[in-house]
Formats: sequence, C-alpha cells, structure tokens
Amino acid sequence: MRSFVKTFAAEIVKQHKNYFYSKTIYISLFLWPLFSFITTYYSFQVFDLSKSKVPYITAENVVVYLLLGYMCMSLFRCLVQSAWRFSFERFHGTLELIFLSPSNRAAVLLGNAVASLFESVIITVVFTVFMLVLKSEALFFKLLPAVIVFLLVIGMAVVWGMFLNSLFLFSRDTNFLFTVLEEPMEIFSGVKVPIILFPLWAKMIAAIFPLTYAIEAVRRVMLYGSSLYEIRIYLLIGILIMIALLIAIMIILVIVEKHIRVTGNITLF
Amino acid sequence: MIIAEHLAKNFQVKVGKGIFREKKSIEAVKDISLQIEKGKIVGLLGINGAGKTTTIKMLTTLLAPSAGTYFMDDMDAVKYPMEIKKRINMIAGGERMIYWRLTAYENLWYYGQIYNVPNSILKQRIEELLALVGLEGKQNIPVETFSKGMKQRLQIARGLINDPEYLFLDEPTIGLDAVVSKELRSHIKFLAQEKNKGILLTSHYMREIEELCDYIYILNDGCLIKQGTARELAADTFNRRNYILKLYEQSDDILARLDHNLRQYDPTTEVSGDGDCISINSSENISLELSRLCTQEGLFIREMYEKEPELEDTIIKLSKEVSA
Repeated sequence: MRSFVKTFAAEIVKQHKNYFYSKTIYISLFLWPLFSFITTYYSFQVFDLSKSKVPYITAENVVVYLLLGYMCMSLFRCLVQSAWRFSFERFHGTLELIFLSPSNRAAVLLGNAVASLFESVIITVVFTVFMLVLKSEALFFKLLPAVIVFLLVIGMAVVWGMFLNSLFLFSRDTNFLFTVLEEPMEIFSGVKVPIILFPLWAKMIAAIFPLTYAIEAVRRVMLYGSSLYEIRIYLLIGILIMIALLIAIMIILVIVEKHIRVTGNITLF
Repeated sequence: MIIAEHLAKNFQVKVGKGIFREKKSIEAVKDISLQIEKGKIVGLLGINGAGKTTTIKMLTTLLAPSAGTYFMDDMDAVKYPMEIKKRINMIAGGERMIYWRLTAYENLWYYGQIYNVPNSILKQRIEELLALVGLEGKQNIPVETFSKGMKQRLQIARGLINDPEYLFLDEPTIGLDAVVSKELRSHIKFLAQEKNKGILLTSHYMREIEELCDYIYILNDGCLIKQGTARELAADTFNRRNYILKLYEQSDDILARLDHNLRQYDPTTEVSGDGDCISINSSENISLELSRLCTQEGLFIREMYEKEPELEDTIIKLSKEVSA
C-alpha cells in the first residue's frame, strides 16, 4: 500500500511538472471548449426554445444547460488527453523503465489521471464562475446533491482516464482510440444536443460513454434541483460504471504486462 | 549469481503487405546460457544482429523467454519477475529514458519513488549519486539544458537509484567523448569491485569490453559461439603467431630474403612490410630462428616482439568465419 501511494504521488508530481511547465497552457485549455460553446450557443439561438421538445430547456437556461455540458465534457476531455500524453512515455523510452521497475501499474495510471484532474478542476471553477456571472437565476440546486454529483463526475472521469491509459499501453498503434473516443464522446454524450432527441441508434452509442450519465445527473441536479433520491439511478449507474471500469483496468493491466513480455513492443514507438 | 540456461526467444511478426498478412515466427535468440557473478563484469558481444538486446531484455524481465531457465540467486526469474525487478536496473546509451523537462534531482526522485526507496535515505542517495556522476551543483537544472554526456551520466545515476544487485548496461558509452567515456568506465569498475554489483555490459567498443570485462560471451545469430576471458578468446581464436620486427634498415630485398629463409622452418609463414615494421605470421614459434636469421644476414634489430591478438581481431576473424 505504501508503495502504491508513493508511486501514485510521484506520478502526479512528475506529470504535472512535465506537462504544466507554462501557465500559457491553461489558456489553450479554455479556448477550444469556449469556441465550441459559443458556436453551439448561437446555433441554438435560431430555434424557438419556447416550443422545445425537451421540457427543461428554456430560452432562459440554455446557456447554463450548455455550460454544464461543456464543463463535464472538459473534465472528461482532460482525462482523455492525459491518456494521449501518456503515449509519449513510450516515445521517450520512459514507459519501458516504468515497466522495468516493480512499481504498481495501477498506481501509475491513477497518478497520471489525477494529475490531469488538476487542470480539470481549474476548468470546472472557471465554468462555474461563468454560470454564476451569466445566469445565476437559472441555477436551481441543493448543495449536497450538487457536491455528490460533482464528486461522482470527477470519479467517473478519473476512472475513464485510467481505462484509456490502460488501453494505450497495448501498443503504439492505439492512438486511434483518441480520435475514435474524443469527438464521438462530445457528439453522442449530450453535450450539445439532448439525448432524448437522438434516434435509437445514436442513443445506443450514447449509452457507451460514461459522460452521458454524468452530464444528465449534473443537469438534473443543477437545473431541476433534483434530490439524491431523484437521481439515484444515475448515481447507481455511475458507481457501477466505475466498478466495471476498475475491474476492466485490472484485467487489462495483467493482459498488457503479459503481452509486452511476449511481444517486446514496449520499446517500439 | 545469475544463471541463465538455454534461453530462447521467438517473436511472431507479420510479413507481407495488405490486410491479410502472414504471421511468421522469428527466432531472435536460439540458445544462450550465461552466468553473472556479483562483483564481476560480464561482456556480451554480438556479430550480425546476434540477439544481444533481446538477451538483455530477457534478463531484465522485460521479455519472457520462449524457452530456457533463468535464476537469480536461486529465485526463478521467469516465474517471479516482480521480485527480480526490485533487485536489478538497466542503463542504456542515448539521451532517452529521462524526463527532459524535469531537473536531475526531480528525475532521480521520481525513479526513487517508483522503486519504493525509503524517503529517509532517498535524499542522501540522490546527492551521493549526483556526486558520483559529477552532477553535483547541477541538480536543479532542467535536463533539457544538459549536454549529451551529462544526460548519460544522469542515466547512470538513475540506474543506481534502487541500489541494484545486478546492473545491465546496454552500450552505456555510445556517443560519448573520450573523457566522459573514461570516467564512466572507471565508475563501472568501481561499482563491480567496490560495490560488489554483478554487471552485464554490451558495447561496440572492443577496447571497453577488453578493459572492463572479467568474462565475455560472444553471440552470433542468437547462439553463443565463444566464451572466456579476453585473453582466452584471442588465444583460442588465433592458432597462429604474429611477430613484429623493426630493423635499422629495411628494404623489399630484405623482406624477400626473410620470407624465403623463414619458409624453410614453416612453409606457411607470411612476411609483410607495414611502414617501418615487418609483420611475420607463422603457425610455429619461430622467435629463435628469426633472431638467428637476422644475425646471419647482418641485420641490426631495433625491436622484436610477439604481438598478442586483441579482442577486436578475434571479433573480426569470427565475423569473417560466420559470414563465409
């Protein structure tokens, strides 16, 4: 356990120092979601939201509705990018040294994911300030459910990041996962468009992404003022997703370690 | 002690182009047995893609052998790789394998943490290692500003952070200038002799192997073809003798006369001129006959000695033999 904690902490410190060497990086972190948010917001303006098929989207709260979606997506996106950055370890030969060491592999993945959480939390804070400044009257929430649901979202994002990290360990060619998961996650998780409006096939894709449940839970708590009891199904799904992903991560790590020792592909970059 | 016997490693590779590529098995290492004692430096030399790196990867548990046994101090290394990882480390040449944006201290701290080095001793060990590799005073500078030699020295420190019992050095002096290489060689000697570490070294520099290694294994095409000390290998490979003769006076006529007369003793003798030296190659011990002949011919000898074959000559000869 002591070894796990040391590896986890060292990984956080290392990744933070390695990738957050300049404060300008935070500017780039905001720009992309911000532009995307603005585009989506003005896309909604051409429609008459008083006739919306989605009962909880109104002309008054559409900004907050979208901001909540983008906030959750940014949390998850940071973790997806952390997995992508982890692939550089292979290129630099440091991944080989991590596997040469007796360090706990899960601790390395967790540390890498949590290091990204630091930037995620800052983004979350900025989005929250945006919401309070722009449309605080549209926010209607109770404190405890809000705290719980945000902790759940952060937990899901971290485990999702760990899961992607573990997949990236398989080979140098898993970078395509970044392309496959990044954009579809934004499109199908209900960041911009409510899932209720999706056709069945799109709803099935949406069901794959943990972000879908995270966004829905956050919106229900923040826009509807839903209680923990009312969002219990989302809490349960979120917890089950985390457990399932953690089990998958453990299995993948065992398989990856064996795979690497058979193929020797850890040195390929 | 490390005892590896009949290690083999097969890789499955895809050959051909397009979607339906054929799988093919490649034997990178066919049959290699070796031993590494604590306090000794063992050299691993290879000819023509011999399987050196694959062998090192197996010994460092990064690769699982397809066949063979590998024990480290009576522990089955194939079965318990995680236990073995605690007791070994590897240092490779080049500038990779360290975090360039981190400082030297931060790099060593990170590796110390993932090796679970107790915090109570880690700080002191980092300082000692930085001093050992001559990077004291540079510990708070980002590695990206380091020269190649400094990065390589940091690699050495990194490889010692867990105080390993066995150390695997894969061409540690590649690309380094003569001064830094010499310093590193003395570090390596110090680690074996004073710190009792078992060291496996691969290098393309024969002088380095010859200078450092107590015992040498030579690989070719995944198999062990020779083993022994540098002297034994040279003696075993060369069953002919080489003499160097330097005279006060030298001419083609003298070379021809020496050649003719020495062939009376050994018909296979070859005499050739090389600058101010005369090189004589014979299957017999002809030193007595050679000095007698010079006296008879009225040639004044400036210098005469039997030249011992060097490891480099051994490798070149073995390389020619395996290519033939």
